[in-house]
Amino acid sequence: MPDWQELVRRQLAGLALEPRERNEVIEELAAHLDDAFEDLRGRGFTEEDAAERALCEVKDWHDLRCRIQTARRKENIMSNRVRQLWLPALLTLSISMGLLALIQLSGPWPLVVPSSGIPRMTPVATIYIPWLFSLPFVGALGALLSHRAGGSWRAVFSSIVFPVVPYLGLFLVLFPFALTFDRHAGRDIILSAFLIGLANWVLLPGAALLVGGLPVQFHLSRRPSSRCVATH
Amino acid sequence: MIGTGIKRGTAELAVLSVLKDGPLHGYELARRIEQQTRGALRFTLASLYPLLYRMEKRGWVRGAWQTSGSGRRRRCYRLTSVGKEKLSPIREEWAELFRALRRLTKVSHA
Repeated sequence: MPDWQELVRRQLAGLALEPRERNEVIEELAAHLDDAFEDLRGRGFTEEDAAERALCEVKDWHDLRCRIQTARRKENIMSNRVRQLWLPALLTLSISMGLLALIQLSGPWPLVVPSSGIPRMTPVATIYIPWLFSLPFVGALGALLSHRAGGSWRAVFSSIVFPVVPYLGLFLVLFPFALTFDRHAGRDIILSAFLIGLANWVLLPGAALLVGGLPVQFHLSRRPSSRCVATH
Repeated sequence: MIGTGIKRGTAELAVLSVLKDGPLHGYELARRIEQQTRGALRFTLASLYPLLYRMEKRGWVRGAWQTSGSGRRRRCYRLTSVGKEKLSPIREEWAELFRALRRLTKVSHA
């Protein structure tokens, strides 16, 4: 009987896995060949014929080595969390920030509310209308990428609204700070500035992102996946 | 005989369906699928293990080493709760695909 472990080890030389994992793969594949060999022997094949037929289980060892490496290492290189959350989230954040910067540089001018007749120290909202209109597409992209990576509802939702998270964080830090240390502005002014800022930079953009992202997520989650056909 | 592309697509469904009945090691799994499909689906070592490893990474199946009475070590695969949850929608997808193909080709049941 052939030494299956030695044979598999030789054929899969260069299998780029951790030593323990590589040994397990070699032992498992050798056991499979051993089972095939014993099965064929039990059906009356000579030892030589049985070994030859068992080896027909693998036509291209190089291809098998590549496919095993891909199957076992792919998820280690890029974890699920990265593919399902961080990648879509950072992409939506980058795109939304890029668009905002572009609009701020090249126009059109933002809508300032209230626009006139405002007393000194009254907070105003600066609304970038084209930016708000672009955000549903950004949200849809976040939902699409996260869903396609197999993200849960929470991961998809986080990917959609991630562009407003830094603003939310900023307000949550700045507001208590201003209330505590700013002696020049009254508390009512700080509070109204906080609410206007929150609505302008968090609630409105968040809603715009969800307008684009949620329908995509609903649509994709209800549609039967074609992954079975598409993968492999 | 079923073509290669379709076979690839049915591979996950076949493995999940057979493992639903209980844990099996790789060779048994391949034999069981071949028997139950009357030879229409046949897994070789080269086609089976990359698939099993991929499914294990996704958390659909879990492999564990077992030693038989004769002292042979085999890695047995069992369906996880995630795999059990996946089985039903994948079955439904395939049923829908076959219904669609049947409508498309106007092939009716005999």
